[in-house]
Amino acid sequence: MPTPVKFPRLGESVAEGTVAAWLKREGDYVEKDEALAEVVTDKVNAELPSPVAGRLVKILVPADQTVPVGTAIALVEEEGAGAEVAEEARAGQSESGSVAAAQPAPVGEQVTSAAAVQRGTSALSVAAEAVTAEPHDGQQPGERQRISPLARRLAREHGIDLNEIKGTGVGGRVRKEDILAYLEQRQLGEQTIQAPAAAAVTLQPGPASTAGVSTAAGAARGPEPVAVGPDEEVVVPDRMRLAIAEHMVRSKRTAPHATTVVEVDMTAIARWLERNKEEFKRREGYSISYVPFVMKAVCEGIRKVPLINSSWTEDNRIIVKKRIHLGVAVATDSGLVVPTIHDADQYTIAGLARRLNEVAQRARSNRLTVQDLQGSTFVVNNPGTFGTILSVPIINQPHAAILSMDAVVKRPVVTEDDAIAIRYMMYLCLSFDHRILDGAGAATFLQAVRAKLQSYGPEIDVY
Amino acid sequence: MTAVTYLEAISQAIREEMRRDESVFLLGEDVGTYGGAFKVSAGFLEEFGPERVIDTPMSETAIIGSAVGAALMGMRPIAEMQYIDFITCGFDQIVNMACKMYWRSGIPLPLVIRGPAGGGTHGGPFHSASPEAWFFHTPGIKVVMPATTYDAKGLLKAAIRDNNPVLYLEHKLLYRLPELREELPSEDYIVPLGKAIIRRRGRHMTMLTYGAMVHQCLKAAEQLASEDGLAVEVVDLRSLTPLDRQTIKESVMRTNKVLIVHEDTLTGGVGAELAALLAEELFDYLDGPIMRVAAPDAPYPYAPPLEMAYLPGVERIVAVARQLAAY
Repeated sequence: MPTPVKFPRLGESVAEGTVAAWLKREGDYVEKDEALAEVVTDKVNAELPSPVAGRLVKILVPADQTVPVGTAIALVEEEGAGAEVAEEARAGQSESGSVAAAQPAPVGEQVTSAAAVQRGTSALSVAAEAVTAEPHDGQQPGERQRISPLARRLAREHGIDLNEIKGTGVGGRVRKEDILAYLEQRQLGEQTIQAPAAAAVTLQPGPASTAGVSTAAGAARGPEPVAVGPDEEVVVPDRMRLAIAEHMVRSKRTAPHATTVVEVDMTAIARWLERNKEEFKRREGYSISYVPFVMKAVCEGIRKVPLINSSWTEDNRIIVKKRIHLGVAVATDSGLVVPTIHDADQYTIAGLARRLNEVAQRARSNRLTVQDLQGSTFVVNNPGTFGTILSVPIINQPHAAILSMDAVVKRPVVTEDDAIAIRYMMYLCLSFDHRILDGAGAATFLQAVRAKLQSYGPEIDVY
Repeated sequence: MTAVTYLEAISQAIREEMRRDESVFLLGEDVGTYGGAFKVSAGFLEEFGPERVIDTPMSETAIIGSAVGAALMGMRPIAEMQYIDFITCGFDQIVNMACKMYWRSGIPLPLVIRGPAGGGTHGGPFHSASPEAWFFHTPGIKVVMPATTYDAKGLLKAAIRDNNPVLYLEHKLLYRLPELREELPSEDYIVPLGKAIIRRRGRHMTMLTYGAMVHQCLKAAEQLASEDGLAVEVVDLRSLTPLDRQTIKESVMRTNKVLIVHEDTLTGGVGAELAALLAEELFDYLDGPIMRVAAPDAPYPYAPPLEMAYLPGVERIVAVARQLAAY
């Protein structure tokens, strides 16, 4: 049996994507993890690695076609396996009429059939009761209000939360085909993408939550006609903008946000950077900024307050993640992406700078991998690059919090000994899910981050 | 052996049954000397004589009433309605006499009432009717509507041999349609009443239909397959009473979507009953609303363009099927 190559899930809220180009042709041999195709989603452009080594026997989705996540787009026949590609049997033609010499129907037949009707009716009323009495177990508040009876039955039989499925019917309705595709994906899908942080991945809620899909789909498919005045211009948002819009709306609606701010004295780091930045770049081949320092400090903060690295689940549990995978917001020409630096706490400051540089490079050249976009547990955001001094970020679902670092600016500060000094100051703004944390926990975390950042002396060992 | 038309198949069925069983006889307006308005019984008078091929006065009440009486006396009459529209004149004889006779007396009533139905021939409001729903609603009569030449012969033979009143509706648009010409088996055969047939297999939706609409549905299914990649299953009901619930339900349980197509008007039509049946018994298997394509609630129009607009055609079937498929 050839191995199906599924369209990968690239980013939390991505439900569909486009095959931009095939890098291999049918019949070509591919190594495991060798790039098969370029894929484009709302979030990112990426290369799709082959799940197995073998021959690309069939391209199922041509270039430029958009398909739901999980769709099989190609078949790769592993070495040694048979070469035939199973094709779905198409509709057969009608059977021919029989030439049976049947007996004339007995006169009493109508009586019998009337009785059968009555029996049928009583059976029906029983069935109807059963349907009515069916509890709406597991129905989420945001669940689609209109679901076909078949979809509901299949979901019940297979234990599926319909909110996890992106519907392709009118208005995002989940159809039979969607459920069958989902089941197939559930059976085969996980093998295709080797998620580095299994725990983190499994905890991410479905990409296509009701609200999300309907918002994005509604906006994409059937925008309400708007009246445009003479002094106005209409801009149709691209897919990435729509995806961000949808994700932000969902995040904001899901988590009650609270934001708290601390002020950090970054003077020691600023001076170190002034002295060492050029030298560091020359020596290492990549640059270093405030960001890896903050990331390092965030890892320490998470060690002190592990609850900040968690998710609130739909069944009201808090899942605390043991590994720290920091998402880092990177602005690109086409919009904001948040690649992940896995196990960020395992790196030195220089190591973080290096990883940061790598993902930023890949993001800006559209070379992010599937793994780059998966499994983040906490996001560090850096609007300060653009000169902001105070930000209130929106949590990236399903995280518990997000940290914004604003511009490091020189300010007159009253010091411990009541003198006024010029210091390099920065605000750190933490938006947190108030279901998980209260102000005290958030502040404790911020204090830990600040303490770390302010702990440096004139000499900093970044290795 | 030559390929015969739908009309010739009907003629063959009657002739063979009259040869086989002496109690079978034909009566109606112009069925004798003239050979029938559509020439179904051409040559019958010469072969079977005036006692078995009876020209009647222009009174459907009399035709059906006599047929009921003859059936009670052990004969097997075939009463022809020159146009099925005029069956309404014999409505009382059918509904109150023929349909209730077995319940009243326990005496079988082997009677076939047959005639040309359906539009598309510019017959206007008095020569085009689709009367099946009236009789579909009435217990005690079987309603049969063949779509193919093979079925036209086999179903009519089964109807003549049946011991109950059977209404056999011929679609006159199909009478001489060249594409329905078919070589029929030389041996005696019947198509059993109450058995539907799947004319085309598919997995995306089931079209339930009968009569001339079978061909419209098959064309629509072809178009949907080539343009939309949709595999549509087309079920030809063949008999409306008894209804082949088994075949219908099995198909819908496979495809989960249903489009019902009939030429008769929408409200209270056969489609309404099918929809109710499926909603009651297969609710958990439905992945979309049960949809219907039928004629508007109006008599058949005379003007050809109006009649074209009135009759359900491929275009409308395809449009509604797409809507349902996308649901």
